[in-house]
Amino acid sequence: MKVERITFERTGGFAGMHNVVNINPDDLPEEQAQALLKLLDELDFDKLPEQAMNNPSLPDQFTYRITVETKDGEHSIVTGDASAPEEMQELIQMLNRIARKQAQKKK
Amino acid sequence: MHKHSGINCFLPPHILKNIATKGTESQKTLAIDTLKISAQMRGQRQALADFSAATFRVAVGGKDRIVYDAKNGSGLPGTIARREGEPATTDVTVNEAYDGSGTTYDLFNDVYKRNSIDGSGMRIDSTVHYRTGYDNAFWNGEQMVYGDGDENLPVDERLFNRFTIALDIVGHELTHGVTQFEAKLSYFQQPGALNESMSDVFGSLVKQYQLAQTATEADWIIGAGLLTENVNGVGIRSMKAPGTAYDDPVLGKDPQPAHMKDYVDTISDNGGVHINSGIPNRAFYVTAVELGGFAWEKAGQIWYVTLKDRLTANSKFQDCANLTYQVAGELFGAGGIEQQAVQKGWAEVGLTVGGGGPPPPEPGGCLAALLRLLGAAPSRS
Repeated sequence: MKVERITFERTGGFAGMHNVVNINPDDLPEEQAQALLKLLDELDFDKLPEQAMNNPSLPDQFTYRITVETKDGEHSIVTGDASAPEEMQELIQMLNRIARKQAQKKK
Repeated sequence: MHKHSGINCFLPPHILKNIATKGTESQKTLAIDTLKISAQMRGQRQALADFSAATFRVAVGGKDRIVYDAKNGSGLPGTIARREGEPATTDVTVNEAYDGSGTTYDLFNDVYKRNSIDGSGMRIDSTVHYRTGYDNAFWNGEQMVYGDGDENLPVDERLFNRFTIALDIVGHELTHGVTQFEAKLSYFQQPGALNESMSDVFGSLVKQYQLAQTATEADWIIGAGLLTENVNGVGIRSMKAPGTAYDDPVLGKDPQPAHMKDYVDTISDNGGVHINSGIPNRAFYVTAVELGGFAWEKAGQIWYVTLKDRLTANSKFQDCANLTYQVAGELFGAGGIEQQAVQKGWAEVGLTVGGGGPPPPEPGGCLAALLRLLGAAPSRS
């Protein structure tokens, strides 16, 4: 299924700042887009439970909402930072890197 | 591991002195702690000297810190970088975590007679250099963790410096540990915002204590120095003027309200725990400035006792307002300037307290404390 858009929202953290970015895989460098889609595929993203967090009450951890849209619909999950399942850490870190780059461009 | 809870009411000093000289070791310890706190609250320096540790050696460990280095990985705690008593390293981040947790320990120990995070001398562990490009610090339930900010980006693109750079951030994280052992405020909506506010209050007090600043001299900024010069902002939060800490094209604007009328209803950020904390933060600031002098003395004492003995997991802002008002009356006298200052602090943010006099002390609590002293006092080993 072709991924049309990924929305990555980060809240909380010590600073409590709110960041949202929309990512279209077609706009990413080829290599990064492929790595990202591969990660989503390996995680079986559209079958992940909506609450994918081990412990929502860890003080100052980041909270993430990741939404993946295809032409057939969308799937959204909420996860934490330190408390995210280990297999999701790579996805979260990659999305953070992309988000950071996009935020910088806004300036 | 048990939690040493002290004696939370005022037994007559002559009874405490008897226990301090004639009781068992654990009874002595409890009685001495109580005498010290009572003496300190009343400003009786002589009484403090009379019950110095030289006379009654308190048999518990003191300050004990370890700073670990995650070496940019995510494994915790990482490799030991500096242990208690070891000289400074060449790594400024390690030293900041070490010194910052030491100053935080000192504030809680010297001023509030609390021996570390759990009140029983728990070792204070910190990990620095967590991951790469990690714009955060947190308390994971057992230790503090610090990222290096945007160290992996070119200098002109960096927004955040290392998170150990501000002493109040260290104090903030460590206070999350104290809250975990005491009020256990749930990390959601108003109880969560109180949890956050307590961390900002004692984080700021740690900094003020180190700088020996009065309430009017302090900047009341949380995270001063954390934002780089590429950002238009003085820090992450302002306790004095919530909502004014930063306003930047990339980071956006500080979203904190300073009054209940601007309370933010949201599901993000665990129900706005880092947003609505601006309201109780400002209540503390107003109380402290109203009282003048060093904020950690009276205002800090009132908030500390409230955190330790009164707030519970589901407490809301109004509860905190009522309880700080009660505690101010109990510690310093009903209707006194302290209670009036607390009342004014909460009024400034739109919460009303007082009206009648403070409620009478709880005989159950005192009786329980006395029984604990005379019979079932837990050992402190």
